[in-house]
Amino acid sequence: MFPTPGQHAPEARDIVEGVARVVAVEGGNVWLEPEQTTACGHCAGKAVCGVTPGSARLVARRFQLPNDHHLQVGERVMVGIPEQSVRRAALTAYGIPLLLMLAAGVTVQKMGGGDLQSAAATLAGLAVGIGVVRLRANTLSGRGELTPHFLRRITAVDAECGLDRS
Amino acid sequence: MQDIILLIVGAALVNNVILARFLGLCSFMGVTTRVDTAIGMGAACTFVITVSGMGDWALEHYLLEPYGLGYLRTVTFILVIAAAVQFTEAIFRKFSPTLFKLLGIYLPLITTNCAVLGVCLLLVEGKYGFMDSTLFAFASSLGYSLVMVLFAGLRERVALADVPRLFAGPPIGFITASLLALAFMGFSGMGAK
Repeated sequence: MFPTPGQHAPEARDIVEGVARVVAVEGGNVWLEPEQTTACGHCAGKAVCGVTPGSARLVARRFQLPNDHHLQVGERVMVGIPEQSVRRAALTAYGIPLLLMLAAGVTVQKMGGGDLQSAAATLAGLAVGIGVVRLRANTLSGRGELTPHFLRRITAVDAECGLDRS
Repeated sequence: MQDIILLIVGAALVNNVILARFLGLCSFMGVTTRVDTAIGMGAACTFVITVSGMGDWALEHYLLEPYGLGYLRTVTFILVIAAAVQFTEAIFRKFSPTLFKLLGIYLPLITTNCAVLGVCLLLVEGKYGFMDSTLFAFASSLGYSLVMVLFAGLRERVALADVPRLFAGPPIGFITASLLALAFMGFSGMGAK
């Protein structure tokens, strides 16, 4: 999905890039499956986490894009998402529930609550936080901020230069 | 309030998980090539460490300690960490598939991150109450995330520098890490617990 009119396209250096493979074409859309990224590609945990092509974990991370570039099944493409979106998503997903649960727990403790009351308040704060995250994520998704953009097809030059890995 | 601030400063800066306790070094070197991956991993770790710290505290106080099952502590804590990771993943997958698609890649790596188990075992040594224990876990993981992001920023800059060929890659990374550790040693003078 490309920036809508009025939105500024992020500069190349502000884009987090990743490689994805086209796994299905449905009407005017394509389904893409992200390939393993550097985050776990160089780690000893690679074998443990089971992130291999076609694994359930990667299937769950498949996403849809409009097929404006006439992509075919099996093609590898470079997709990107603004760096700011990743930061915002991380803070939304983890920051909000954490802050709410800590605030609830500390408040109850300062009001003279014991361990059990604090634990109950913390869990309640976590539940509320998850609800807030859901609403916030829907807003961000609605704006298209969490959707990767098509950048380019992976070419032989990319592969030779090592640019086909994020 | 002062005790909470001291606890947070002590756990996050003075006794930093990575630079003072040397835990989580695999992810410290492996996921810090870019700031955005460091932020993703750090945020995920912060959440999982805090949640598993709460679960571990409850099990320690209501099961392991009363029934003299301390020898099962490590196994139990590993199970709690794995459960916390699965819980987080399931929640994201159900309530926000878009966020899961964007950030879910970091979650499986946390299960094998020794910093998570290390912090949970430190909680037991500290003999904290529930809220102090949760705050300690949160602050420790906050310190972990802070160092990950700082180090990733340094590595992004070093990647653009003209480093002698012998030092390129991990060697200059380790030298940078040692300088960062020296900088963090400055916090030890603060005398927080």
